[in-house]
Amino acid sequence: MIVAAWICLVAPLAAALLITLLGTGVSRRGAAYLATTSVLGSFAAAAVVFAKLWGESPDARSHPSTVWEWLTAGSFHVGLRILVDPLSVFMMLVVSGVGFLIVAYSIGYMDGDDEERRYFAYMALFVFSMLLLVQAGNLVILLAGWGLVGLCSYLLIGFWHERPAAIAAAKKAFVMNAIGDATMALAFFLLIQHRQTLNFPDAFAVGPGHGWLVNLVALGLLGGAVAKSAQLPLQTWLPDAMEGPTPVSALIHAATMVTAGVYLIVRTHAVFEQAPRVQELAAGLGAGTLLMAGLIALVQTDIKRVIAYSTMSQIGYMFLGAGLGAYANAEFHLMTHAFFKALLFMAAGLVIHALAGEQDIRKMSGIGRLMPMTRLAFLIGSLALVGLPPFAGFFSKDSIIAAAMDRGWYGYVLFAAALAGTFLTGVYAFRLFFIVFPGELSPFVQEHLMRGSHAAGMEGAHGEDDASRPHGHDVHEHTGEGPLSMTAPVLILAVLSVIGGWIQFAPLWHPVSDWLEPVARPLAEPTNTQEALASLFAFLLGLAGIAVAWMVYGTRRWRVPKYAFAQRMLEHKFYFDEAYDYAFYRPAVALAQGLGRWIEGPFIGGGIREIARAFRDAGLSTSRLQTGLVRTYALAIAASLAVITIVFVAVR
Amino acid sequence: MRGPDVPWYLAVAAFLFATGALGVLLRRSPLIVLLSLEIMLNGANLALIAFSRLHGESSGQIFALAVMAVAASEVVVGLGLIVAIARKRLDLDVDKLSILRG
Repeated sequence: MIVAAWICLVAPLAAALLITLLGTGVSRRGAAYLATTSVLGSFAAAAVVFAKLWGESPDARSHPSTVWEWLTAGSFHVGLRILVDPLSVFMMLVVSGVGFLIVAYSIGYMDGDDEERRYFAYMALFVFSMLLLVQAGNLVILLAGWGLVGLCSYLLIGFWHERPAAIAAAKKAFVMNAIGDATMALAFFLLIQHRQTLNFPDAFAVGPGHGWLVNLVALGLLGGAVAKSAQLPLQTWLPDAMEGPTPVSALIHAATMVTAGVYLIVRTHAVFEQAPRVQELAAGLGAGTLLMAGLIALVQTDIKRVIAYSTMSQIGYMFLGAGLGAYANAEFHLMTHAFFKALLFMAAGLVIHALAGEQDIRKMSGIGRLMPMTRLAFLIGSLALVGLPPFAGFFSKDSIIAAAMDRGWYGYVLFAAALAGTFLTGVYAFRLFFIVFPGELSPFVQEHLMRGSHAAGMEGAHGEDDASRPHGHDVHEHTGEGPLSMTAPVLILAVLSVIGGWIQFAPLWHPVSDWLEPVARPLAEPTNTQEALASLFAFLLGLAGIAVAWMVYGTRRWRVPKYAFAQRMLEHKFYFDEAYDYAFYRPAVALAQGLGRWIEGPFIGGGIREIARAFRDAGLSTSRLQTGLVRTYALAIAASLAVITIVFVAVR
Repeated sequence: MRGPDVPWYLAVAAFLFATGALGVLLRRSPLIVLLSLEIMLNGANLALIAFSRLHGESSGQIFALAVMAVAASEVVVGLGLIVAIARKRLDLDVDKLSILRG
């Protein structure tokens, strides 16, 4: 079983290395298949691990494995240690399973891109990093995976490196994440100092009487989680990260990496439980983020950004759940969210692919008529996102909302926020759906698609259009909605988005909670009444949201209310970017310029110039001694010899 | 011991050395400078041999032989340089060969 876990971890790394080392020795298609196969192999290995673990008794399902100790300092050891337990297997299955579907989808999406090999090498490296993160058996390995996924995210956001916007977005993501990495590292240092180990789970038993220490550690971990998962107040990088290719958005910025923060909280829940104020803060941040992101999503016009804000909002729910101690519910929502959000991104990718890279929803109207399968997939994804039964989101989200009712007045505030978020989710999800898919064909869509799917029948659009895509493309063919490698994963995810939630229906059967219970015992166990109540409210509010969206964007019977101030506020994303610009970027630049002008120039540079001048003057004056006259030198030598002789004689 | 005493040899050695040194310092022709150098070396050799005899051991004489070998090679190099200078039709005057002035 341990061997299977290692295979699961190493397979994508091997693929990434192979693609990198072979270079042009492997064809573009070959690189794509290599990456896909390796991730499939990971999934198979993860499934084997899961099956083996399933057969064991619940209390014996924790298997650490250390390959070698690579850092020893006194009594402090760090090894390359993985931990196989229900939580990590759960994450391994989600990461490798959804990862496989998305990498397979990339085969079609990236077909013809100039740098396909690099793309697939990065993707495989990402899957490896993510698996390293979730399989890590101590916090150092976790941090290594944490940093590597950040690196892959950086590389893949900036994949189309000829676009300045992509480079800027990549940099932003990296810097924002670096803040979280730093706070996490500080927390680890505190743990090393106090516990002399970073192994799970010994590191977390800080013990009573260390209130400040536990709070600091929990805050540091929360900082890392907040940065990685794009929660308040470090959320601004995620929408910009949409500059990357769409499968990247689906895999990294929706299904896996951004949920790593939730995983971290669940994994280190022992620390958070000793610092209840910080845990409540996590829940509060989640609730704040889900509301804020839901509001901003109402006014975005870029199809991927709307979904990105919805991702932030959904991760807000997961934080809410993890912060309330409903760990299994958060993890369950993480899984269903991976299904339906990857589905939404990939369906959006099909639309973007068909429209030659266009992402503005105002130009897309009516495309559903030409892409019925995509429309169905997107509809399923949206319904799952809003959480209507029997779609996946219903089962996972409502349990989180119900958990909020178990926490006194603070819980009810969170409960209200989560319900408001449900309403917003209904509005923005179906605003997107109603704007893009039904209705009259927009001229832009006609220009791009009519020729392809109607005139040429199933043979599909020959890509004169594709030549205009921003990322230099060969001409290639696709049928109306895309090649099989793209549509098949979408269909699989659509099915999962429908039935994926059925594995747990809180009042009746709860295998996910039971599975995770040995690792993370929940703090909040909502009663059946609370579950039912939460579901009822969430269902009604979600439906109301959809109805509002239908009235405004479907039938256009209601006008979009005009509040100039609110609209400006939302379009500027609550001015977070501007605030950070004024609060950090500009003072930093001003400080740097001031230092450059008043310190660097006169003192440091001036000092160095003065020293240099002194040396040059000294050299010039001594060089006069070099007359070039041989006889002078000879005289000098003779005179010196005479002096030395006299000195010797005199001294003796 | 026969012949003059060691101080006499040393006096001659000092005289030779001084002559050579003056030649090196005062003459301008590189050829003469080279010759004077040889005279200085010979003065030193004489002193070495004289001391060797005074102390009754042979290492000073062997040392003098080594100095002669070095002197011979030095003359080869020096004369080569002088010939090269002459080939370039430069003045054979050490004071004019001063491009190394700082």
